[in-house]
Amino acid sequence: MLLHILNRSPATSRVYQQALVSMAPEDRLLLIEDGVQGALPQLVRYFDGLQGRLFALREDLVARGLEGRCEASVQVVDVDGFVALTEEAERTVSWY
Amino acid sequence: MRYAILLLGAPYSCQASHSALRFARALVDRGHRLETVFFYHDGVHNAARLAAPPQDEPHLVDAWVALSTEHGTALQVCIAAALRRGLLDAREAARHGKQGHSVEAPFELTGLGQLVDLGLSCDRLVTFGP
Repeated sequence: MLLHILNRSPATSRVYQQALVSMAPEDRLLLIEDGVQGALPQLVRYFDGLQGRLFALREDLVARGLEGRCEASVQVVDVDGFVALTEEAERTVSWY
Repeated sequence: MRYAILLLGAPYSCQASHSALRFARALVDRGHRLETVFFYHDGVHNAARLAAPPQDEPHLVDAWVALSTEHGTALQVCIAAALRRGLLDAREAARHGKQGHSVEAPFELTGLGQLVDLGLSCDRLVTFGP
């Protein structure tokens, strides 16, 4: 299982498409920096099919005033949880 | 676990340096060992000895030095990316006939082979891009 890390909003960059086609069925996706916008109800549709495997970084949500506005299916983790996700994955792949 | 971080983003231009530093602190807090932070592409500007940000803003260069001092983390800078951006240690400055130098220990100028080695020898290599 790989952890994919995306720092771009699907509203402003198409790099999320490359991440999605590269992901294996059990891989996870963590949204960080501007990528956390993808956790909002109006944008989360770009990540259809990732239910249970989609995460967003709490600190970056808070920095953008978006905490508490995420779609319920997105799992919000803090930076400690970010490290835990890297522990559980064999490797990480960053998309930017 | 043994971790390494690859940082590609310039300080104060994008969030990458701040994200990498936050991640670095979190992983040592969880008991992991951060072997090396490797600075590449515009990330080499994190090694600028003369950086003088406003006092009420995070000082990224000092923060990397503190991380290295406290946890023994190596701060490796790609020499090819650094030299073309004006980031030279005393030895390279002398070799190129430049007055003054802009990189000093604990930052060290190294080659890309070190990055390949990190990918092979560490349990995790996490990249922070621009």
